[in-house]
Amino acid sequence: MRERHGARILRISMIYLVAFGFLVPVLYLTLTAFRRPQAVFYVLEAGLEFSIRNFTDALNWRGVRIKEAFVNSALIATVSTLLSLVVTLPSGYMLARYRTRLARTWFFIIYLVRAVPYVSWVLPLFLLAQKLGLYDTYFGIIAAQAAFHVAFYSWILKGFFEGVPHEVEEAALLDGCSRWGAFFRIAVPLAMPGVVAAGILGWIWGWNELLIALFLTTESIPMFAKTVSAFITEMGVEWGRMAATGVMATVPAVIVTALCYRYIVAGLGGIHKT
Amino acid sequence: MKINPDQVRYTPEASELEASGDRPRSAGNDSERVLRGSLAHGHSWWRRIGRRSGALFPYELILLPALAMFVFQGLPVIHGILISLQDFSIWNPEPTFVGLWNYSRVLSNPLFYLALENTGLFLLLAVSLELILGLCIALLISKPYPGERVVRILLLFPLLVAPVVAGLMFYWMFNAEFGFINKVLGLLGFPTVLWFNRPWTAFLIIVLADVWTWTPWFTLLLYSALQTLPPEPVEAAHLDGANAWQIFRNITLPLLFPVASFTVLIRSFDAFRVFDVVWTMTAGGPGNATEVFGTFVYRIGLLTVNYSEGAAAAMIGALIIMVVGVVVYGTISRIVWGRTAA
Repeated sequence: MRERHGARILRISMIYLVAFGFLVPVLYLTLTAFRRPQAVFYVLEAGLEFSIRNFTDALNWRGVRIKEAFVNSALIATVSTLLSLVVTLPSGYMLARYRTRLARTWFFIIYLVRAVPYVSWVLPLFLLAQKLGLYDTYFGIIAAQAAFHVAFYSWILKGFFEGVPHEVEEAALLDGCSRWGAFFRIAVPLAMPGVVAAGILGWIWGWNELLIALFLTTESIPMFAKTVSAFITEMGVEWGRMAATGVMATVPAVIVTALCYRYIVAGLGGIHKT
Repeated sequence: MKINPDQVRYTPEASELEASGDRPRSAGNDSERVLRGSLAHGHSWWRRIGRRSGALFPYELILLPALAMFVFQGLPVIHGILISLQDFSIWNPEPTFVGLWNYSRVLSNPLFYLALENTGLFLLLAVSLELILGLCIALLISKPYPGERVVRILLLFPLLVAPVVAGLMFYWMFNAEFGFINKVLGLLGFPTVLWFNRPWTAFLIIVLADVWTWTPWFTLLLYSALQTLPPEPVEAAHLDGANAWQIFRNITLPLLFPVASFTVLIRSFDAFRVFDVVWTMTAGGPGNATEVFGTFVYRIGLLTVNYSEGAAAAMIGALIIMVVGVVVYGTISRIVWGRTAA
């Protein structure tokens, strides 16, 4: 079906309108970040006066330790994502390959787990973590984040593994390959695009994590999302520095997504096969 | 030689192994050795059970994930239930058993019902808007257009921004004195609106923030699904003279239903637990107009430091959403697969 010229122009302008609409809040935030701290209330009127004072202020703000937060969030997000994926790959594979009662029960459990609000177990986890000595430790927050994403990844990875044809694995099994071997050496490599896509999304969410971090850590483990809320002082909101932090928080996610966009779309194409 | 798949055994039967002396062999012909492939030395209890090692494989697969989920989500829930049955707060650090007292307190708190109402309304509004907008955008970008590479990333932007940052952005934009929305309105001659002072406008802005953040998610998933739809039914319908709207309504939409419904379901769960945006923008205000389930539990559990009442509230909410989730899931799977899945 060929598109009429008028309809095409309408469609393209709608697309750009929407893209612009999505960008407006981000642009406004970025503009605010690059203004002089005092000019924060006149963001639009300040003409072409730009300054990076907000960024330097935020980075040097002793109480908040943004540089450490940057490193910590990256570290925690990376480790917990890798850990979570490694642990969850078998789960997704199992859901994709088996239709037994066990598989259906497992799927149902995962579904229920996804349904329950975070707050329902973060609160008891907070209390439990103190007893187990996991409170305010790197291990605690990494393990908690990794575990919380198991249900999410199982769901997505199930879709990807279903997209991997099982004939190759069966051929390998007939040739004497062990089940785990077939899994590691055939199924996983074939599902890699999807795994990478899921990993990227999970990394970004780990990077943006707030709720679990608030419950399980204190200032001794600075993390990015927490620092943003730290700028709300008794004297009022430090908009300039908060904007700067917000911008810095978003940059890594943008870079990662821009580099890996192909994987994300290719990977998520398989998700509808649940 | 024709191989009958039903007769291929990947591991030797128990009887064979007992006959062979229950020892790993380096000798023996190739096919025997290969058949014993995954049975390493010393898994004798499997042999005694008489199962093929393949039968335990699914259990092995989910062992680690199940363990992880149990430790970090199962145990806390159990602990949470226990706490909710006790009186455990900052004034009473020695927990005493009080049965269902906390539950009755929560259930007789009008704020709880208000919070649920708000959460439900928020959910309906936000998710429907996200679905419709996401679908429209997915359709718009499903045909080529100039600047695709860049626009794709721009369309994904809201997903990449942390919800905290998104909440703050919208709070800042709609700030009554300095936010640029009011300044633009002023330029256009409209009176300034006190966005966060009136319940309905505050509510709408929260919905807006959520829609802004999550529409790209729907767009992404629906776009991927659209790309993988088979083109034949559409072509056949076109040949038969159907117009674009008929094709869309009778072919595309039904084919998208599975993806769309599950995405809506999952997003609804996430919307039910919304916290970041609401807390940063209104903290449940003005008054209690935008109190949602997440803020309610946070308020009861942490602000008043009444852990057990907070736990009770959290458990009730979890129960509600689980029941609803199961019912809806059953309905959807009956529609999609013609049977219940569990």
